Amino acid sequence: MANLVYLVPLFPLIGFLINGIFWKRMPKTLGGVIGCVAILASFIISLGIFFEVKSASFQGPLVVKLFDFIQSGNLNIHFDFQVDALSSLFLLIITGIGFLIHVYSTSYMGHDEGMVKYFAYLNLFVFSMLLLVLGANYLIMFIGWEGVGLCSYLLIGFWFKNRDYTNAAKKAFVMNRIGDLGFLVGMLLILFNYGTLAYQDVFAKLPAAHTETSSMYNWIALCLFIGAMGKSAQIPLYTWLPDAMAGPTPVSALIHAATMVTAGIYMIARSHALYDLAPMALDLVAVIGLATALLAATIALYQNDIKKVLAYSTVSQLGFMFLALGVGAYTTGVFHVMTHAFFKALLFLGAGSVIHAMGGEQDIKNMGGLRKKLPITYITFLIGVLAIAGFPFTSGFVSKDEILLAVYEHNKVFFYLAAFAAVLTAIYMFRLLMLVFMGGFRGTHDQEHHLHESPAAITIPLIILAIFSLVGGFVQIPHLFGGHDYLNQFLGKAGVPAVIHEGPGLEMKEWTLFGATCVGLLVIFLATKKLFAVSQFDGNYSGFKKVLANKWYVDELYDTIIVKPIGALSGILDKFAEKAGIDGLVNGVGKTVRWGGDRMRLLQTGQVGFYIFIMVLGMVALFTLGFFWIK
Amino acid sequence: MKAIIATTVFGVIMMFAGLWVNDKKSIAGLATFLFAALLGVTIWDLTTTSVNSPKSLFNDMLRSEHYSLWFNTIMTGCSLLYVLLMGKEVQKVGKYVSEYFALIFFILCGLYLLSMYNNLLMMFIGIEILSIPQYILAGSDKRNLKSSEASLKYFLMGAFSTGILLMGITLLYGAARTFNITEMVTLMHSDALNPLALAGILFIMIAFSFKVSAAPMHMWTPDVYDGSPTVFTAFMATVVKSAAFFAFLRLFQVSFNSLSEHWVMVLAIITAATLLVGNVTAVFQQSVKRMLAYSSIAQAGFMLFAVLAVNAVAWQGIIIYAVAYSVATIGIFAVLVKLKDYTYDGFNGLAQREPLLAFVTTIFLFSLAGIPLTGGFMAKYYVLLAVVQQGQLMWLVIFALLMAAISVYYYFRVIIAMYFKAGTPEISSPVTGGDKFMLVVTCALVILLGVLPQLFLTKV
Amino acid sequence: MELYDILFWVLSAIAVSCALGVILSRNPVNSVLFLILTFFAISGHYVLMNAQFLAIVNIIVYAGAIMVLFLFVIMLMNLNADVEPQKGQLVQLAGVISGGILFLVVLASIKTAKAEIMDKTSTDIGLISNLGKVLFKEYVLPFEISSVLFLSAMIGAIVIGKKEEVKTSATAKMEHVSE
Repeated sequence: MANLVYLVPLFPLIGFLINGIFWKRMPKTLGGVIGCVAILASFIISLGIFFEVKSASFQGPLVVKLFDFIQSGNLNIHFDFQVDALSSLFLLIITGIGFLIHVYSTSYMGHDEGMVKYFAYLNLFVFSMLLLVLGANYLIMFIGWEGVGLCSYLLIGFWFKNRDYTNAAKKAFVMNRIGDLGFLVGMLLILFNYGTLAYQDVFAKLPAAHTETSSMYNWIALCLFIGAMGKSAQIPLYTWLPDAMAGPTPVSALIHAATMVTAGIYMIARSHALYDLAPMALDLVAVIGLATALLAATIALYQNDIKKVLAYSTVSQLGFMFLALGVGAYTTGVFHVMTHAFFKALLFLGAGSVIHAMGGEQDIKNMGGLRKKLPITYITFLIGVLAIAGFPFTSGFVSKDEILLAVYEHNKVFFYLAAFAAVLTAIYMFRLLMLVFMGGFRGTHDQEHHLHESPAAITIPLIILAIFSLVGGFVQIPHLFGGHDYLNQFLGKAGVPAVIHEGPGLEMKEWTLFGATCVGLLVIFLATKKLFAVSQFDGNYSGFKKVLANKWYVDELYDTIIVKPIGALSGILDKFAEKAGIDGLVNGVGKTVRWGGDRMRLLQTGQVGFYIFIMVLGMVALFTLGFFWIK
Repeated sequence: MKAIIATTVFGVIMMFAGLWVNDKKSIAGLATFLFAALLGVTIWDLTTTSVNSPKSLFNDMLRSEHYSLWFNTIMTGCSLLYVLLMGKEVQKVGKYVSEYFALIFFILCGLYLLSMYNNLLMMFIGIEILSIPQYILAGSDKRNLKSSEASLKYFLMGAFSTGILLMGITLLYGAARTFNITEMVTLMHSDALNPLALAGILFIMIAFSFKVSAAPMHMWTPDVYDGSPTVFTAFMATVVKSAAFFAFLRLFQVSFNSLSEHWVMVLAIITAATLLVGNVTAVFQQSVKRMLAYSSIAQAGFMLFAVLAVNAVAWQGIIIYAVAYSVATIGIFAVLVKLKDYTYDGFNGLAQREPLLAFVTTIFLFSLAGIPLTGGFMAKYYVLLAVVQQGQLMWLVIFALLMAAISVYYYFRVIIAMYFKAGTPEISSPVTGGDKFMLVVTCALVILLGVLPQLFLTKV
Repeated sequence: MELYDILFWVLSAIAVSCALGVILSRNPVNSVLFLILTFFAISGHYVLMNAQFLAIVNIIVYAGAIMVLFLFVIMLMNLNADVEPQKGQLVQLAGVISGGILFLVVLASIKTAKAEIMDKTSTDIGLISNLGKVLFKEYVLPFEISSVLFLSAMIGAIVIGKKEEVKTSATAKMEHVSE
């Protein structure tokens, strides 16, 4: 089965091509069916691959060679796919959740005229992500890396033709490019130092962990991490993600849950051999992750857009994952990716269902009391909230518990901060739940009349995801409850190391965490219920709350310290370079009307003279450089 | 050699065709046929030369190395693509259609000389044969004053750079006592470098910088590219520029390779300045045509990397870059000539009116911006790889990557205009099925280059 | 200092000062006349290098044919008047200074160069028969291929110079420039 791995990305590609080429003529339903079937086929094969990798007979990572990609001199890069535990797990997450989102989209986008096109892009998106995960070298990962960035840009944009969203898209792309730049430089450094980009070859050339320190490892790891910052929305490159909410809700679900933002985590988990040698970079990963988790959580407290709250919660959860990676608990980070994929997809799709019912309204000021009208959405959303808040025995509890435990053993201060962020998570999620589903309805009469539960194509994915959000954590049962870490063992096959928790105080710690979680959640539940399950809510803030509601004014800060100076610089250069050009041209043409000869002379003595003047100065500079400076 | 004879003869045939054939369409048809035939001849040249033993021709005036012939073939292919895409538009420029095609054949003659020269004299003649027809083509739209102005400017500044080139050749001769670029290597590489030789190298470097529009010798580019008839701008900015680059690389690889410590820093500064000027100024353009002119400067900055890296990968880099850049740029210009308004606003809403045009333009722009799985990415990858393998100038590589990130901004502005802004673009000439077919073929080429770059490098 | 050197320096001085005269004189006719003088001085250099044929050809072709053509054009178009628009002091200064600096820099760069003086008596490459042999043996390819260059220049004269339906006076003048 693993030899057929090329089929996994092939199906979405075919789906993309069919839908992309025939989108004008194809009936909507057919387009939706093609899109879904393509992903389903990938999912089935991914399942096969997963079980094959899981079986005891599977020997190490399998590299499936497709074709020669680049050959120059002694460098040889193949277009290969690598099948191992890590990639097969990601395959399952991407195709599984991707499939549910596709199904959901058939209904959600059902009345959109560009639906076939939409599915084409969705398939392309999944294809890019699969490429990213499957590639056996950094180059293919980079191709997928750029691909998902591009597809998200397309997906957000194509739907919102009429809105002025271009700034958000530009921001998303520029931030991603800055990150990509880091990735590229990291890639070049790897190439420069090891002469290859294939994972296995690179890692084979690395010394055993902790035996050698060299600043080069730190530099490479740092550059790669900058790439991860951009793609996985970490400080300081996180502001694009909440802005990229302009797209259709299922797309947000896809970006936030199954694809795109998890790329950074995947990359670091994949390169763990490198990061083990780079303690400084690893510490930075932890610090950035923690800071992001906290910052985004505080911002999420006072957002009034249902999708914005979820977006910042994603940023915050990604922070947790990086924190886990940063303390060396790679498998735990990947585990949280998995559980997060379940409940974040659930929450986004639930939010989509709410928005759908509200006729496009996203402001939670105008919602409230929806639990009666949208029972299935309510229950599933509640499960999602419980999971992300870390209610005992939900998937979120298990993974977050494990992160906190790993952090506790690494650094106590980190632990308390992370625990605080976890508390904030519970607060803003319950606030959202209360404001949307509890209390009284605050929207217009029309909207109230219009409220209805969504059709089966929407609710069934919700239910499936809710089940997984509940039980998905049991692949890694905490030690306390007869622990069995299936996932750690599985990922161990790919050589991804896990932090093994043991020692005398372990049970005590776990009990404490467990108890604290239960009590804390109960308090938060009651408090938010009292505060936010209301019929009147104006959503205006003052003082510090306003700072939070305005996202710490980070956007404004970036605008002032980065965007404006660059704009000014370009303006100056523009004036300098263009003055002679355009002005001269305009003047020249104007005078010609009078007499051609005049103009010719005007040209000779005018701009051309100026150009040659610059050329001569350039020559002087180059000669000085060549003869007297470089010696 | 067969190709040189063939293209000259075809040029003369075109001139006579202008005498006897009055129908512009038949002239264009004949030209297309001759370009296809020329492609056949270059392939013939290629297949009859063995890979490892370059043939020396006419007292070592030319050397038909395999990669030279491969470059000839690829560039002739690009010219054929150009004629297929824009033959119709050439007819609209003015009265002398057959002469325009004749001039393009002569330009190709210059290109062949520049890819195979083994003597500075041949290099000089090649550059002049490449340049003179360009001055004429730039001014061919006589009803348009901007075109005449472009032609005159180009001519005046071109003459200036020719003077510099001759000065450089003279100084080199003074140092090495030969025009033969392979003999020159041993003669110049004595214990201490003769200052005459270094001055000659710098002069030639500056003259080539002019031809490939590298800063600070780039000033003519925006005016000339903007003023010339768009069809000819497309040819000048692609095939011609690639030829100049190949000649640049050839001289600096073959003759000055061992002296690289003396000049590589100067060229690195030129490269950095070119990247900076091209990319940053392109950001602020209002006209897509002018933006493409600046983008051609920016792309030249990347191609300079191949010259900087004095190793074998550089050949692959320049070839893949030349073809990737040429194909994508020709494609964009082919779309541009269909539009009336060359400003960004002129592209507003193109996706609604002509979805296919908008789509292929998007792919071409992706390629220019260096997005993976397009030819442009592979091209950038190869040239940067060449420098990385050389193991120096890492700062320049990182700077180039930063500049590539900036370039996304102005390329994507076109995409934003096409897809996300409402408007009704005015189409100047109807987009026929044939046009669409050719655009799709071009687009497929761009992607093919990005997925299987080896196809285009097997002969190098 | 023997006669050869004296002649060399005198001719060089004439050539350089006349070349300066070309660009400095206001009246185009004077410019052309200075140019003719420059060509004569250069022809003198050819003679010094034992290249009499080139010296004669240089005079016949450049000083004789091309310069006369220039004079005709200037006079027919009535450009002999002193109509050059006054350039600003600043522009002139910029030109002089930048050119001067370039000159100095290049001079400083190559001043240490060891230029081997070629043996002026033994060479007889400039004689017609030798020149012809070299031209048609060693340099036959560049010699022949130059025809393509001239052919395209001729096409240029026709394409740019010939009348088209709409025409401005500017295009008429492009003709001699592009030759």
